Amino acid sequence: MKDPEEALAAARAAAAARADADGASDAGEDWRLDSSVDRGRRLSNWAIIKPELIEVGSTRRFGRPITWIKRALIRLLSQYLNQMGAQESRFNADVAAHVISLEERVRKLEDELKRRSS
Amino acid sequence: MKVTQLLCAAGPVDAVTNQAIICRELYRAWGWSGNDYAPVIAPGMPHGTIKHLHERRPARDEVVVLHYSGWAEGLERAFDGSRPSLLISHNITPSRYFWEHEPVQAVHNEMGLEQLARLIRSASVVAGVSEYNAQQLRALGASDPQVIPILLDSALLGLPAWGTGAPSPTVLFVGRLVPHKRQDLVIRAFARFHARNPEARLVLVGVPLSDGYKGALVELAERLAPGAVEFEDGLSAGQLADRYLSAGVFLCLSEHEGFCIPLLEAMHFGVPVIARDAGAIGEVVGDAGVLVGEDDGVDVVAELLGLVTSDEELRGSLRERGARRLEHYDREAVAAQLRGVIESLGK
Repeated sequence: MKDPEEALAAARAAAAARADADGASDAGEDWRLDSSVDRGRRLSNWAIIKPELIEVGSTRRFGRPITWIKRALIRLLSQYLNQMGAQESRFNADVAAHVISLEERVRKLEDELKRRSS
Repeated sequence: MKVTQLLCAAGPVDAVTNQAIICRELYRAWGWSGNDYAPVIAPGMPHGTIKHLHERRPARDEVVVLHYSGWAEGLERAFDGSRPSLLISHNITPSRYFWEHEPVQAVHNEMGLEQLARLIRSASVVAGVSEYNAQQLRALGASDPQVIPILLDSALLGLPAWGTGAPSPTVLFVGRLVPHKRQDLVIRAFARFHARNPEARLVLVGVPLSDGYKGALVELAERLAPGAVEFEDGLSAGQLADRYLSAGVFLCLSEHEGFCIPLLEAMHFGVPVIARDAGAIGEVVGDAGVLVGEDDGVDVVAELLGLVTSDEELRGSLRERGARRLEHYDREAVAAQLRGVIESLGK
């Protein structure tokens, strides 16, 4: 076999034959990535604001002293920044909790609907 | 001639940054001066390679080349049409792929499309790296976009190529772990192939979008083909070449690609290519690989993996076709095209 088209045709035929033999095929299978990323859990993780000092830096010329100054500033302003972060985190966490509770209610309603229709 | 290059962001493993660096090497070889700037520079970039956009002092006689890959603050001011300019678009991935996993990235991609439309109006010449990209540019208002393909990386492609061609049950894909590259499908197809070939291995090379996304892929791989899938990133050019040389087949099932350089890298290393005909993939692969249609399922891909890793004649044919396809992206020819466009702007 030399031709890619020929290879594709052979693969299609083999897949169809195997599906017939096994009584199974991937036709209609959901090809999306399993959503194992729990959105509620992710929202909760993102809700709490916690800047990473290690990620504060400069890539400019003479970047090392600039990095040092930036990090020092953050330390000096830590009381103010912590207050800001706490307020924002409180709001975010409340939104996340609300969304999670709504998801839970929707899930229960869907289960109830399925139960009644069956 | 003085050529200033602008990037949306610069990073050590970023393909667009790499393109800008390759272009700069060419400009130097042609005796042209100038610097490269980006508004965001990721840690790990060698100091001085790309300067911060704040350091830029526009010169009267410069030609500006913008490598556009996504929204960035301040680009409109730096690329305002006051100088002769070339905008090369490296494609913006549709935001729908990111809403679920990285909403901030999705917002940036939406903003990027709007910004690209504005920047097109300021550019003297607009180009995409593929005809697929050029179509996106036309949809955004570019009247006559050119196609200037990617310049292949001599650091990687300069390494010894063409392995022995011996069949290997190792399946390889190289590309960021992001939803539109569909590594999940690669894993599913591989798992079916692995069920019949327990010695088979899948190697996925690429920086993950996020820890969460990588975690989901690892979980899927462990469920479908336990112990048979390896995830790698941060490889040197030599290590990446080793991965290509030990692969029996390169499998790309991306749903969206603006170009996909690894397809050509695989051909360079003599690795047969199986790819999904989506985005710019069909245009880049041409007749040098097996192109899977949208209606083909993972069962068909699994059968193809079996054929390509075992049929010597088919492997040989795909390797030869790959070598011929690379001539279409000859570095000298692409460099001459780029030079012609920039020289016409500098006159």
